[in-house]
Amino acid sequence: MKQIFPLTFMTHNDIPHWISHLQKIENVIAPHKNGINSFSFGKVSDPKCVILNYDRTLSSIKKYFLPPKETLFSFSTDGKETTSSKVEPINAIFLGVHNYDLEAVFRLDHNFLSGHAESQYLTRRQGALFIGVSYTPDEWHFSNSVLKDGEPNHSGGFDLFLHEIEDGYLLETLTESGQNLMKGFPLPEFDGDIPKQQSFNAHIDGGFEKVTDVFSRAWDSPVWESYAEKCVGCGTCNLVCPTCFCFNVEDEVDLDLKTGNRIRTQDGCMLRSFSEVAGGEIFRNQKAARMRHRLYRKFKYISQETGESWCVGCGRCSAYCTAGISIVDIVNDLIHDSNREIGA
Amino acid sequence: MKPKVAVFDFTGCEGCELNKLNFEDELLALLEHIDIVEWREAMDDKSDHYTIAIVEGSISTPDCVERIHDIRNRSEILIALGACAVQGGMNAMKNQYPLEQVREEVYGCHKDLFPTLPALPLSRYVRVDYEVRGCPMTKNEFLKILTSILMGKKPIKPTHAVCVECKLNENECVYDKGMVCLGPITRGGCDSLCTNFGQYCTGCRGLVDEPDVEAMLAILNRHGLSIVEAKKRLELFNYENQAL
Ligand code: SF4
Ligand code: SF4
Repeated sequence: MKQIFPLTFMTHNDIPHWISHLQKIENVIAPHKNGINSFSFGKVSDPKCVILNYDRTLSSIKKYFLPPKETLFSFSTDGKETTSSKVEPINAIFLGVHNYDLEAVFRLDHNFLSGHAESQYLTRRQGALFIGVSYTPDEWHFSNSVLKDGEPNHSGGFDLFLHEIEDGYLLETLTESGQNLMKGFPLPEFDGDIPKQQSFNAHIDGGFEKVTDVFSRAWDSPVWESYAEKCVGCGTCNLVCPTCFCFNVEDEVDLDLKTGNRIRTQDGCMLRSFSEVAGGEIFRNQKAARMRHRLYRKFKYISQETGESWCVGCGRCSAYCTAGISIVDIVNDLIHDSNREIGA
Repeated sequence: MKPKVAVFDFTGCEGCELNKLNFEDELLALLEHIDIVEWREAMDDKSDHYTIAIVEGSISTPDCVERIHDIRNRSEILIALGACAVQGGMNAMKNQYPLEQVREEVYGCHKDLFPTLPALPLSRYVRVDYEVRGCPMTKNEFLKILTSILMGKKPIKPTHAVCVECKLNENECVYDKGMVCLGPITRGGCDSLCTNFGQYCTGCRGLVDEPDVEAMLAILNRHGLSIVEAKKRLELFNYENQAL
């Protein structure tokens, strides 16, 4: 593909200086170490603490547009007054984002734009610039099995993109906004090609095409029950997923009993209470049914309308599943199970 | 007239009650809406009838049985406060031994003066309207339940596992730190307090509804505990849970 903007080169030593330069333009949000073996996106205060070479973050950047917990509005308990919470555009530079996490943001944009547009999300979503970084797939990533452009070095949609090479990064400029971010930070041009993509270790056999096919007849598969047996129903897989967006709404009344807040909290369809309705009926009480629903939301219900996978292959739900269940294993088993049926 | 509230203690460390005395600001705000008519730890007054009885501790002696029935008969609403009252708490671990042996161990030659029963949650003897879980009890849950009752609304009981709150708080999973954790099967509502501070969940808030104990034992087993050890961990706060 022809480059519109020239490729430039940045050494590892340049990175903190560059981040300081970006900070002068706008807040920078980037991955940091969190705990012993994990990473999280956070606002940069010390550029030296930013980690660009990471496997995945616990939560995706979704949390900046759809906070895990937020106050929708405050009210007086006599019903006379409500005050909406102030929601502001994020206005930030997201640095060090993996391809699948940006894809996930585009999926959420679709969800929150279609039907009744969701103003809190859409307001926060404004003013975001994205700087991507390539990554080395680990045992859980499988983006190229589900995304059209799922390669770890796919830069589409980003403003700038960092390709990791041996002694630094190649910086690809993709948009004018990206070019503007580089004003005042000159870098040497790089005469050569973008390095080849890294290969994945986890694969869905037959890719998304096969997935679409199998999900048209996977409803009664015994595979659901075989995985549900191991599942403890903790909901982790929902809560870490960059494209899950379901929430619960509760009122909290202050101790004066005169005022209160309506709080929205992220929820998940793997949780038993998720499908509890008035009267206490739980219509998706079996874990197998809940697991099936979660995967149908990723691979069928929305996908059949849009033609795209709603799972972006980040591998979070597998990597963080407390019971050690891998979504790739579930899907591959569904595929093999349906092949067997067809063969029989 | 303000609702009459009374606080009672049974078998337990009284840590839940003391915990309650520790949030004076909120207590003062609440006193605008309630009259505390009986509370051994804080005052001398007595009353015959209570709108809300808040009861801490498990039932573990014949005397307890009599008292809890009496309190229930005189109360409109009864709230079980803390792990001992809700689940039997750690006290219930004694239930795995013969009662005679337990008495002997604790009271020695004076054991005949102290009749004992298996330590059980309040709900095994009387109807419990609401539960404030935790060891010690979770302050926010207590305040939410009380404000809901005062508003004439049904309090929302948390049914999700601690994992949910841990993820909302973006904590690194305790298992990824090389420890084992009871969060996946333990009822949330504590805002994952312990794991927020780098600890593992000991399960003090009891199990979720319809817990999958087999799946949980398999997780603990996969992370290095024998099935016997794993069961012991779960029993710490759940000895009387029929699901175990
Ligand atoms: S379903 Fe799993 S692998 Fe797919 S996007 Fe969600 S968390 Fe990532
Ligand atoms: S993270 Fe694993 S154990 Fe927890 S609900 Fe999801 S599949 Fe089940």
